[in-house]
Amino acid sequence: MNGTVKATGSMGRERRQAYMLVAPAVLVLLGVALYPILAAVWLSLHRLILVFGEQRWLGLENYGFMLGDARFWNALKNTAYFTLVAVTVELLLAVPLALLLNTAFPGRGLLRASVLVPWAIPTVVSAKLWAWLFNPDYGLINRLLPGQDINWLGVPGYALHAAILVDVWKTTPFMALLILAGLQGISEDIYKAARVDGASRWRSFLSITLPLLKPAILLALLFRTLDAFRVFDAIFVLTEGGPANTTETLSIYAYKTLMRAGNFGYGSMLSVMTFLCVVGLSLVYIRLLGKEGRG
Amino acid sequence: MRRPLISVLVLGLVLWTLPGCRRKKEEATAAGGKTPLVFKYQPLGDPVAFRELLADFERKNPDVVLTTEALPNSSDVAHQFFLTSLEGGADDFDVLVVDVVWVPEFARAGWIADISGAFPPEVLRRDFLSGPVEAVVVRDEKDQKDKTYAVPWYVDVGVLFYRTDLVPRAPRTYAELEQFARDARAKQPLLQGYVWQGRQYEGLNCNVFEAIWGHGGRVLDDKGRLELDTEPARAGLAYLRGLIASGISPPGVTSAAEEEARRVFQAGQAVFMRNWPYAWEEAQKPDSPIRGKVGITPLPTVSGEPGWGTLGGWQLAVNAHVSPKRKEAAERLIAHLTSPEANVMMALSYGRNPPRPSVYKDPRLVERVPFIASLLGMVENARPRPVTPYYNLLSDVLQSEFSAAIAGIRPPEQALKQAQRQVDHLTGQFE
Repeated sequence: MNGTVKATGSMGRERRQAYMLVAPAVLVLLGVALYPILAAVWLSLHRLILVFGEQRWLGLENYGFMLGDARFWNALKNTAYFTLVAVTVELLLAVPLALLLNTAFPGRGLLRASVLVPWAIPTVVSAKLWAWLFNPDYGLINRLLPGQDINWLGVPGYALHAAILVDVWKTTPFMALLILAGLQGISEDIYKAARVDGASRWRSFLSITLPLLKPAILLALLFRTLDAFRVFDAIFVLTEGGPANTTETLSIYAYKTLMRAGNFGYGSMLSVMTFLCVVGLSLVYIRLLGKEGRG
Repeated sequence: MRRPLISVLVLGLVLWTLPGCRRKKEEATAAGGKTPLVFKYQPLGDPVAFRELLADFERKNPDVVLTTEALPNSSDVAHQFFLTSLEGGADDFDVLVVDVVWVPEFARAGWIADISGAFPPEVLRRDFLSGPVEAVVVRDEKDQKDKTYAVPWYVDVGVLFYRTDLVPRAPRTYAELEQFARDARAKQPLLQGYVWQGRQYEGLNCNVFEAIWGHGGRVLDDKGRLELDTEPARAGLAYLRGLIASGISPPGVTSAAEEEARRVFQAGQAVFMRNWPYAWEEAQKPDSPIRGKVGITPLPTVSGEPGWGTLGGWQLAVNAHVSPKRKEAAERLIAHLTSPEANVMMALSYGRNPPRPSVYKDPRLVERVPFIASLLGMVENARPRPVTPYYNLLSDVLQSEFSAAIAGIRPPEQALKQAQRQVDHLTGQFE
């Protein structure tokens, strides 16, 4: 719209009609997205333990208890560490992988497809597979590594890193694919011009590829960060949060509180906190992306 | 302008009629006025024998139309299913299987019905093993009466497996177990001593309770309060940690559940294993490297008296939301499935241990599955985990503190103190 056309009667009708047309979609969204979130917030303000069958208004008491709940802070720390390390490593591996997949060589199509295999395997299946590989007694990893056997999933410090390794193995291809899409949007002409100007390959990577790839990278980071922050299945299959909660993430803490203990009030509070963290993260990314768009 | 409005209404109507948005009431509408009965259980293996047992029920109860529905095998997932469906007031199943630690919780939440009328507590006490009865009979504080909420279906118990070719005899004390393990390893250095379950999960709690009981402790005090910060508890947890520290148990036990431990033992790489009796059948398979070299015995203790294994197993209960007519039919099904005859069938066809002590002496059992018959002493000694409605709330706290002690993150005293503090916080809230 360039603003010179005044909203006439027919324009107004069109706009009303547009609203009507999107109304069903908006209603469905409200039903499946907004309602559960509001319900979780509402529950988080109550004491609701299913076994005792009572629901009592607590106000912000659950949130107050959370401030002093060492297990919550431990879970938050684990989640943040997992997200930061996993996503960083994935990015560092995905960019070279995408560059490789973007060059022309025989069998490229096959390689592109096969790179996606780890990502296509259901997480629970691949986590179970890795649990076998990590097994201290008959696992393949200890067999291949020299030196003393390591109890990967049973020793604090190792367990979380083992989980990070599984996540990196699984989702690097996905990130590489997103970045590859970005790479393909960069026109070959720019590189040709750079070559005419005598720029080295490294130079053109730094000055052309990276800046033009930034939106794609940010988008990939946005997807992966949000995903990693809610990590549940891989870690749950590998360790169930053990040993001694050193691999317990916010989602696992929330699941155990909700579904095992039946403590719906406090469990909902944990879910709401996870949600707020994810919203915060996505706002940061969206702002960065917005800047990119304008710049 | 009216058309969009209509489409919204139509959409709403479509959503409303989608299956799952509404739950149909199907009260006694089965063919010919028969009572429909739905049994929710975890499949047992080859279904032929069990189907015959159910068909027998239908023959004897022609007024009932029986349907079975499968549950996931994982106890956690089954619990989650019942938590959401029963809290939501589901009445589309009548008889359900209940893990031994769920009964007080489900009873307190009002999800399973009081069936004392059909199964009076005193009859259960007379006919069944004491451990499972303790778990299914819940004391109602309001009218000071014991009430039955479930009937034991089959039981399980933690036991010690040992290699008859590597040790002179079954160890009776912890000191003997350690000595035997050391001697065996002196001859074969690649052997592991004692494998058990130390991963952070419910099985760890079972192992720790057994160690506490073996050191002369009780986990519940007389008032039903969970008591962890005690001398036997400290000794029990320190003993488990010590097994790893001294190399009797491999460091890998801190990530082992039942199957991880069993595979090591099955491969002939360990002298002792704590596990459930199911491991026996695998050990005796024709191609098993340890076939004929395995013994089973009660867990050791400090004093040398036979140890107390954790009670496991499943019970049958009635959904509290169903009509009296269906409840009555459900009770008949439970009586049928938990009869001595059914107990024998479950042992012969599926290797499930009977909850009635008398059945262990049944000639068919003694002849065809002598292994199960030999478990009688151990199941008689089986102890339930703390019988309290908030066991599932507490279990989570216990798992993480026990795991911290086993993995060497915190000394046992400190882990127990922290566990006690959190337990008191959780239970204090409720009283």
